[in-house]
Amino acid sequence: MIRTIGRRDFFKTSAGAGLTLAMGRVLSAVGRPAKAQAAFVAVGIGDDYGQAAVKAVELLGGIKPFVPKGAKVALLPNVQSRHPGSFTKPEILRAVIRLCKKAGAVEVNCLSWQTAKQWEDTGLKAVIDAEGAGLKIFDKDESLFKPVLVPGGIALKEARVLAALDDHDVLINMPITKDHAGNKFTGSMKNLMGLNSPGSNRAFHRPNWKTDPGDVAHLDQSIVDLNKAVRPALNIVDATEFITTNGPFGPGELIKPRKVVAGTDRVAVDAYCASLWGLKPEDIIQIKRGAEQGLGRIGQGKAGVREARI
Amino acid sequence: MPNGGGSNGMGKPRMGTVRSLALLLGLAAVITWAAPARVGQETPDAFLPADGAVPGWLRDGELQRYAGEELYAYIDGGAEIYQEYGFRRVVVQDYKNAAEKSVSLEIFEMETPAAAYGIFTFKRSGKGTSVPLGSGAELEDYYLNFWKGRFLVTLTGFDEKAGTIDGILAVGGAVDAKIRDRAEVPELASALPRKGLRPGSIKYLKGPLGLNNIYPFYTARGLDFAAAVKGDYENGSMLIVMDYGTAQVRAKAWAELGAYLEGSDRFKRSGASVGGVALFQDGRSRFAAFASSGSRLLVGISPDPSASIAIVGQSR
Repeated sequence: MIRTIGRRDFFKTSAGAGLTLAMGRVLSAVGRPAKAQAAFVAVGIGDDYGQAAVKAVELLGGIKPFVPKGAKVALLPNVQSRHPGSFTKPEILRAVIRLCKKAGAVEVNCLSWQTAKQWEDTGLKAVIDAEGAGLKIFDKDESLFKPVLVPGGIALKEARVLAALDDHDVLINMPITKDHAGNKFTGSMKNLMGLNSPGSNRAFHRPNWKTDPGDVAHLDQSIVDLNKAVRPALNIVDATEFITTNGPFGPGELIKPRKVVAGTDRVAVDAYCASLWGLKPEDIIQIKRGAEQGLGRIGQGKAGVREARI
Repeated sequence: MPNGGGSNGMGKPRMGTVRSLALLLGLAAVITWAAPARVGQETPDAFLPADGAVPGWLRDGELQRYAGEELYAYIDGGAEIYQEYGFRRVVVQDYKNAAEKSVSLEIFEMETPAAAYGIFTFKRSGKGTSVPLGSGAELEDYYLNFWKGRFLVTLTGFDEKAGTIDGILAVGGAVDAKIRDRAEVPELASALPRKGLRPGSIKYLKGPLGLNNIYPFYTARGLDFAAAVKGDYENGSMLIVMDYGTAQVRAKAWAELGAYLEGSDRFKRSGASVGGVALFQDGRSRFAAFASSGSRLLVGISPDPSASIAIVGQSR
């Protein structure tokens, strides 16, 4: 079911009331570390991408440690473009919705400020409808985003995160990894910009970005900072078929590793995904700085990765 | 002078592509109407094929238009590279055939023909098939880019099947027939020595975003060149030629860039400068040789230090 939510609609909801009454809550629920803190990156491999996602989650010990019974779950797939290899595959979203419901989630919602057309064009809306999940699309009205202080923020002192996130118990981050013309790579860390307000996201670039050599670093640092404020319980990354040029929008060169990558350590997950198309994680500023600033670890080698074919 | 991708050494056309090319040429022959606006003044709307202009393909959905900063609304998170080259406006129109195959047409109007050529070289893979459209065109597995005048045309199918590729080429041919602008490849592209050059690898750059996509200079200063060009060579070397307009500006830029390289944890100096060539080793164990020539800064990159120095020497 699709629901487009404007400012007036939102403040009629409990989430809106919660925002005005309890500003101090500040994403604590979704920011809480999951009970199961698997230190490794789990990878499901196969032609059935939904089953590859299930396999990756199985390797982490299943979905239950991440989705308690009765939980309200927020999902964040990537719907940036309809070009092949630029959006999260519908079959992966379907598998994750089913896993959440099987674990006893009372509600599963995709949250977004992207357009309904993008959800329709990518085929993700059809899956959401078929699986009985919710699609909550919010206007790009700044009042629908909640100011969140960034602990240890360097470039970003305050994020502005969709307030409706606070009405959920669990956030599962579901990006597709791909090229990005701005900073060469996008994965689990950068996907959280899909929860931050478009206005705040624009500040990730400096006004004179065309000539400022520090702009790319500023963008990457802002992404790292945003990740200090919002911590998904689980990251499930589509690395099945994705673009390695002309990202994030495409069309671009496609590679097909047929992998779904899952983990709680965003740096480790992104480092693994970057290596899938020959990038050196240390060359990606957001990954390097994410590791330096305590978000996770690079370079755990084979011991840090568990792969299984379906 | 290196070509714009129109006739290079890229992959052999597939059988389906050969058939599609024949269709394209036939279509181009029958599309003869002229746009009313003067050459150089047309906007992308003028090039959109109307219903019936491409046999079997009809417009599907609403026409979208974005100009200037509105591009961020269309290409959220990816508009900067177009803005770096110099973007004016884009129109987007889908087409569909009776078999429910879809093709998305995007016509980008850039500020200059050099900008259109540049974004074309940025978007092509160099591994696709050259097709006779515009001033240079490359057909990839499921999409096509061509440039003509100050326009970049991108057509995207949603699968790699023959019927989709036929549609891409047919709609592309109809657009090409309507664009009357012409332009030459920027002169700077000729700075790349021809011997061993892979023509499809040429990238024409207008700023640090494009440059960092082909070689990571991270936060280096001194990359505010007026234009740059990159080419790959058969021996595995890469050459980047950055033009700063004057030797004085280039000298200042090199002073800043050199200082950055000396202090960076991603570059390591490899011996003293010899013959005006400074050699560094990067974080991937490649060697980068830097040398100057008038208003230009030359960078040769190779796993082999002597090859990196040699490619720079050929360009001086």
